[in-house]
Amino acid sequence: MPEVAEAVADPAPPAKPATRPHGVAATIKKRWRAWLRAIHRDIGYLAVGFTVIYALSGIAMNHIDDWDPNFHASELTHKITPIPDELSDADAAKQIASAAGLTGKIDDVYRAGDEVRLTYANGSKVTAIGDTITVQMRRDRLFFRVADWLHATRGKQVWKFIADAYAVLLLYLAVSGIFMIKGRLGLRWRGAMLVTIGLAAPLGYIILSGGPGAQKTERVAARPGEVDSPKPAKPADGITPLPPDDEAPARRN
Amino acid sequence: MRDPRRPDLDRYPELKQAWDRRQFVKSAAVGTAFMALGGALVRIAADDLTRQARADKRSDGKSRLPPGQRALDALRPMGGEEGDGDVRTFKLRVHGLVKSPFEIDYAGLLKLPQAEKAADVHCVTGWSLIGGLWKGVQIATLAEKAEVKSEARFVIFEAAHGYTANVPLKEATADTAMVTYRLNGKPLSIEHGAPVRGLVPDLYFWKSAKWITGVRFVKDDEPGFWETRGYNNHADPWKEERYA
Repeated sequence: MPEVAEAVADPAPPAKPATRPHGVAATIKKRWRAWLRAIHRDIGYLAVGFTVIYALSGIAMNHIDDWDPNFHASELTHKITPIPDELSDADAAKQIASAAGLTGKIDDVYRAGDEVRLTYANGSKVTAIGDTITVQMRRDRLFFRVADWLHATRGKQVWKFIADAYAVLLLYLAVSGIFMIKGRLGLRWRGAMLVTIGLAAPLGYIILSGGPGAQKTERVAARPGEVDSPKPAKPADGITPLPPDDEAPARRN
Repeated sequence: MRDPRRPDLDRYPELKQAWDRRQFVKSAAVGTAFMALGGALVRIAADDLTRQARADKRSDGKSRLPPGQRALDALRPMGGEEGDGDVRTFKLRVHGLVKSPFEIDYAGLLKLPQAEKAADVHCVTGWSLIGGLWKGVQIATLAEKAEVKSEARFVIFEAAHGYTANVPLKEATADTAMVTYRLNGKPLSIEHGAPVRGLVPDLYFWKSAKWITGVRFVKDDEPGFWETRGYNNHADPWKEERYA
């Protein structure tokens, strides 16, 4: 049995165990999609409040030519015997309030020209012009007034940076969302189709509408001397002469 | 009899969730399309004013309604950072390239020569107010009073919180251009620029600055708030100069 003994004494070298990648790069390669999803999830939680505010106020302001997203405003008119100039402010106010059926506290009475204006403590404005009284009232829309104020960042320095940060988070959500799932539900099929549709909507609109350059700008320059021969006006009440602008402190707009 | 397009969910219960989702997406899409169509029909049916305004011609031969606009019978509040709206604190500063700059309060403004003009206004978002009767003081009157220098080419409307709008001098001193405080016999409400706003009806309405605080005459053009944010520098509604 020498062949057998020889075969036992000289076995084939054992197969090497499969080497598994290790180290930071390997860990990242293995785990990146899981981290992407975990961060996406947490940023998603963070974004809930912002998204509700921006989305709802965005819809509200998008339709601003159909409704007032900030206020419930109302205007009523009433007829009145014109207020004589010689009537005192207090009596004029009393007469106007009575004609308009208003009982609240009047903060201010102002008369100029043919107008008598009352301001009520609740903010309502009442103006009598000739034989017509106009009552103007408004109250805030609770949520939209605040949300629209936040959405339009004009003049709110700190909020501008917070809004920028939110925008960056949204970009992360958008980009990470593309890579969160692999296979046919990811970029291989479903994800690719939906991303394409999502990109096609704005691109299609730009192409079909012609984009911002569709309406050609025709710059119109004013011609000199449009206001000719200005004549000095008679002095009038309520007018304060000012120094020329080049002598006055610079005004910042 | 079972719909042949519908899978046998009793036999393949694992498909139920996907089928339910598909049905939901279909229903949502049909519902959205139905609502959009309904809204469009309501708007078309209720738009006699727009048809009439489109058919009418202005004295200069232009259509009364510029292209891409629909007609309304009342102003729409378009937002903006409001001024305080108080006639007591109102001051209008007329300055810049003028020989006699001045500041005028509300009562003083009402003592200047008054103008009452019928004018339509056109918002860049697509609506137009047809048939407004505006009362106020023409910019030409203010220019005359301030003695505008011959080198002035543009008028800058200055408003609350630093808002500005630039208008070529010729258009700012046109017959219907004014600072206005009354529309159709009523005072302006705060959301429409009370107590006094600019009015340049032949340009898109953002040029007619609300809560106006100043009229400045300048030599060089100074694009204003919206003009530096992608909107057209001139803003002629009949040329649809909406965006830069």
